[in-house]
Amino acid sequence: MKTTRSIISAAAALLLATTPNALSHPHVFAEANLEVALTGDGAVEALRHVWRFDDLFSSTVLLEFDKNSDLTLDDDELEEVGKVIHESLAEFDYFQFVENAGKAVKMTPPEAILANYQDNQLIVFFESKPVEKLALQGTLSFGVYDPTFYTAIDFSEDDNMSVAPLPASCKKTVVRPDPDEAIAMNQDKLTEAFFEDPSSNDMSKLFATRLELTCS
Amino acid sequence: MQKPATRAAFLLIAATGLLATLVSAGHSQSSLGIGSNEATLPATGMFAGLLNWINVHQQNFYRSLTGALRSMRDGGGGAWLLVGLSFAYGVFHAAGPGHGKAVISSYMLANEVALRRGILLSFLSALLQSLTAIIIMAAVFLILRGTSVSMTDATRFLEVASYVLVTAFGAWLLWQKAWPRLRALFVGQPAHSLSAASHHEHHHHHDHHACSHGHHHHDHAHDHHQHHGHHHHDDVCPSCGHSHAPDPKLIGGERFDWKTAWTAIIAVGLRPCTGALIVLSFAFLNGLYVAGVLSVLAMGLGTAITVSVLAILAVTAKNWAVAVAGDGRTGNRVHAAIEIAGAAFVFLLGVMLLSASLTA
Repeated sequence: MKTTRSIISAAAALLLATTPNALSHPHVFAEANLEVALTGDGAVEALRHVWRFDDLFSSTVLLEFDKNSDLTLDDDELEEVGKVIHESLAEFDYFQFVENAGKAVKMTPPEAILANYQDNQLIVFFESKPVEKLALQGTLSFGVYDPTFYTAIDFSEDDNMSVAPLPASCKKTVVRPDPDEAIAMNQDKLTEAFFEDPSSNDMSKLFATRLELTCS
Repeated sequence: MQKPATRAAFLLIAATGLLATLVSAGHSQSSLGIGSNEATLPATGMFAGLLNWINVHQQNFYRSLTGALRSMRDGGGGAWLLVGLSFAYGVFHAAGPGHGKAVISSYMLANEVALRRGILLSFLSALLQSLTAIIIMAAVFLILRGTSVSMTDATRFLEVASYVLVTAFGAWLLWQKAWPRLRALFVGQPAHSLSAASHHEHHHHHDHHACSHGHHHHDHAHDHHQHHGHHHHDDVCPSCGHSHAPDPKLIGGERFDWKTAWTAIIAVGLRPCTGALIVLSFAFLNGLYVAGVLSVLAMGLGTAITVSVLAILAVTAKNWAVAVAGDGRTGNRVHAAIEIAGAAFVFLLGVMLLSASLTA
C-alpha cells in the first residue's frame, strides 16, 4: 500500500499548492449610515441607507459612467449609476440581513437607488421596507454587509446605526463581529456546506456589523 | 500492469473534481455591478487559519496603499512608500485568491519544467498581468471614455478570454497526459520503448536524469514523429525504458515547450487584477501617472515572487513524492498520477471559473 500512501501525499501536496483563499478581500470601501425609521404605532417603517464610497472606487465609477467626458457625473449619468447598483444589489438582498427573534425578515426591494457625486466621492441612498409589519418587540437585528466581500460596508461609529426616535422600551446595541475571532471559535462548524451559501444568516452573523434592538 | 496506475490517476482526478465542485461558488461579477470582483474559490477550511492571516494582511496593505495614494493626491510625497506597499500587497494578494498561481503550479506539476524556467514563467505572467492593467486603464482613460465600452466590459471580456484559455490549455494538457494511458488501457498491453539505440542518430539531447526520476519516455511503437528530428532519447539508462506518457517536449522539440509556456503565461496574464485597475484609475484621474504605473509594476513583482515560491513548493512536493515512491513502477505511477492530476486541475479550474464568469 506504499503506492496509495504516496498518492495521498502527492494529492495533499497538490492541494496545498492550489488551495484557494476562503475570502476575497474588499476592493471597495463605503462609509455607511443606517437609520431605522419607525411608524407611529411602534413598528419598523423602513431602513434608510446612506453609503459614501472611497475616492479610489469613486474615481473608477467616474471613469466608467462619464459618457460626455467632462470629468463630472451629470444627473443622467448619476441616474445610470443608481440603476446599475440597484439591479446588481437585488441578487444580494441589498446587503440587508434583518432578523426577528433569529428568523429572517423579508424586505421589499427599494424603489430606486439615488446616487450623488460630492468631493470626489460617490454617495448612494436607498430605502427598504419590511414586507410584513415588523413590530418593535423582542430581539430585532439589522445587519448590513456584502456577502461577496467586494465592498466593505463600514459603520465607523455606533451612532451611524440609529433608530429615530428610539423608544424608551428598547435597548440598542451595535455588534461588530471580528471575523477572525468568529472563525477561530467556530472552526469545526465552518464546513463546506457553511460556505456554500454565503448569503445565509449564519454567515452574516460572522461578518455583518449589526444593530440589535431588544424591546420589552 | 498499467491498470492500477490508471485507476489511481482517475481517483486523483475524481478527488480534484470533488474539490472543484466544492468551490464552484466563485463569482466574478461584482455585487455592485461596477468593476469586477475577483472570482474567489472558498477554501475547504483545511488551511483556514493561514489563509485568514493572509487575507487580513492583504486587506491591510490594500488600505494603506489606497491611503498612500490619497495623500499623494493631496500633495504629500511618498512615492516610495506607495511602491513598497504595492509590492507587499502583491506578495500577499498572490497568496490569496486567484487563478494565476493555480495555473502555473499545476502546469509545472504536469510537466517536467526546470525550476528556473518555472520562476521565469511566474515573472512573465505577473508582468503581463500588470501590463494588461496599465494598457486597459490607458485605453479607458485616453480612448474609451465617452464610448459605450466601459472598463467593466473590457475587463469582463479579458476575464472570459483568460478563462477560456485556461480551460483550453487544461484540456490540451489533460489530453497530452491522460490519453496515452487511456489508450494503453483500451488497447491492452502498451507498447514499450523498444530501444533508444535504434534512433540514436536523431537525438539532440541526452536526458541524464532519467533514472533517478522515474522518467517519461516516448512511446516508440507508435512513433510517427521521427521526421521532427528532435527526439530526446534516454540512451544512458535503457533499463528504465517503460512506456509512459509522452512528454510534449519530446514530441515537438524545444520550441514546442515555449509555445505551451506562452499559453500558460497569456492565460494567466490576460485577466488584470481588480486592485490594480482601481489604483490606476485613481492615479490617472489625479495626474499621478508615474506613481500609478510604478505601483502596479511593484504589485506584479510581489505577485511573481509568491507565485514562484508556490510553484517551487509544488514541484518540490512532486519530486519528494516520486522519490518516496522510489524508482520503477511505483515511482512512475505516482509521477504519472501527479501529472494527470495537475493537468486535470488546470482544466477543471478553467471550466469552473469560466462558468462562474458566464453565469454571473
